[in-house]
Amino acid sequence: MLLLRLLPVGLTFGVLQVVLRLADDADLVRRLKARDPKAMSDLYDRYGRLAYSLIHRVVRNPSAAEDLLQETFMRVWNRVGSFDAERGALGPWVLAVARNRAIDYLRSVDGRMQAGAVDLDRLEHPAQFSDIDNSALAIDRIRRLKSAFEKLTPNQRLVIELAYYEGMSQTEMAERLKQPLGTVKTWTRSALKILRDELGEAAIA
Amino acid sequence: MTCLELQDAYELYALGVLEGGEKAEIDAHLARGCEDCRKGLADARAMNAALLSFVPEEYPSARLKRRVMEGIGVRHPGPWWGWMGALAAALMLIVALWLAVQERERTAELAAARRTLMQVDAERDRLTQALRFLSDPQTVPASFGKGPAAPPRGYVFLHPQLGVLLIASNLPAAGQGKAYEMWVIPKGGAPRPAGLFQSDGARAVHILNGPIDLATLGVVAVTVEPEAGSAAPTSQPIIAAPVGT
Repeated sequence: MLLLRLLPVGLTFGVLQVVLRLADDADLVRRLKARDPKAMSDLYDRYGRLAYSLIHRVVRNPSAAEDLLQETFMRVWNRVGSFDAERGALGPWVLAVARNRAIDYLRSVDGRMQAGAVDLDRLEHPAQFSDIDNSALAIDRIRRLKSAFEKLTPNQRLVIELAYYEGMSQTEMAERLKQPLGTVKTWTRSALKILRDELGEAAIA
Repeated sequence: MTCLELQDAYELYALGVLEGGEKAEIDAHLARGCEDCRKGLADARAMNAALLSFVPEEYPSARLKRRVMEGIGVRHPGPWWGWMGALAAALMLIVALWLAVQERERTAELAAARRTLMQVDAERDRLTQALRFLSDPQTVPASFGKGPAAPPRGYVFLHPQLGVLLIASNLPAAGQGKAYEMWVIPKGGAPRPAGLFQSDGARAVHILNGPIDLATLGVVAVTVEPEAGSAAPTSQPIIAAPVGT
């Protein structure tokens, strides 16, 4: 039986900390690229708790979460050379790396290697995080997203959770939920549209 | 498919969970440099980041940061506060021990000084009393040890109100667990204890305070007794000073 886990809607202290320090990210990236160990310490202080919370939410195992967080920061350290300090969004990149490490772990534990899965490695390449709105984690955006999320139906929330925190494709969701693929696609598409519209991010007219 | 048809799939593509034709379509758009898809994906990544931040706050262990830093070759010198704490505790222990030793030494020094002071006070009192004996016209002298067989020599001064003053020379130490005991022996009576004293190995001064009856006193004698004293002499007198002869 599927355990329905609703996304928490409270804003975390970690997010607030991130928001307050966004302006320093470019300088932090420059120092990381210069292999300044103090920059790594600052990166951990800035995003460590939020990334850990995300990984923990996915794997629900503190010990594994710690290993995965270490792997996340090592990956950021090793790949920051390709990151664009001026145009890149550091926070979304770190969160994407953290989430992908956790999903990778979850898949290996479940023995679940989905057919046609997009290579997570490629999707978290630093170049993918250029020209992202630097206010991606800004407090007002998160408030609006929270408001939109609360408008979703339970089924819509469920498919969002399965995609974001369990890394499931829509086919896998349909199997898990014992619902037609078309129904799952409708739930997913409508949920994302509500969220996107609330943020005013329907970029393509 | 057009970019408009693909826009609902950007978030799932960015999450790595899109499959089938839609994924292939976005790949193809990106491969040919589709600016709309690139922009749409950038927006999708921004929304994904915001959604992923909606998690309950959890706290990693304090040692995790050290592990992360060690991962890039930064050797942590250890919890400096732990070392500092241990060092501070060790220093405090050393200081406490030093203070305890100092206190103990000071206490011992004070006790020794107090004993010395008491001895000096006692000596001064004895000499003061002796001076009173010697300066008072009522004092009657008596000598002893003038014979060749009696090594200790000296004088006994008798005063009807002050008592008896004994000054002896050539008087060896009484020995371990022993003391000299003075006796006043009335004429035709039994010896009465008149106090214990020690010799410094050559000289001794002893005083029996209080009035005495010079008329009935026959002899002042000294014997060696156990250091607690005896009720009656247990040895032969080493000093015997006849009074009034």
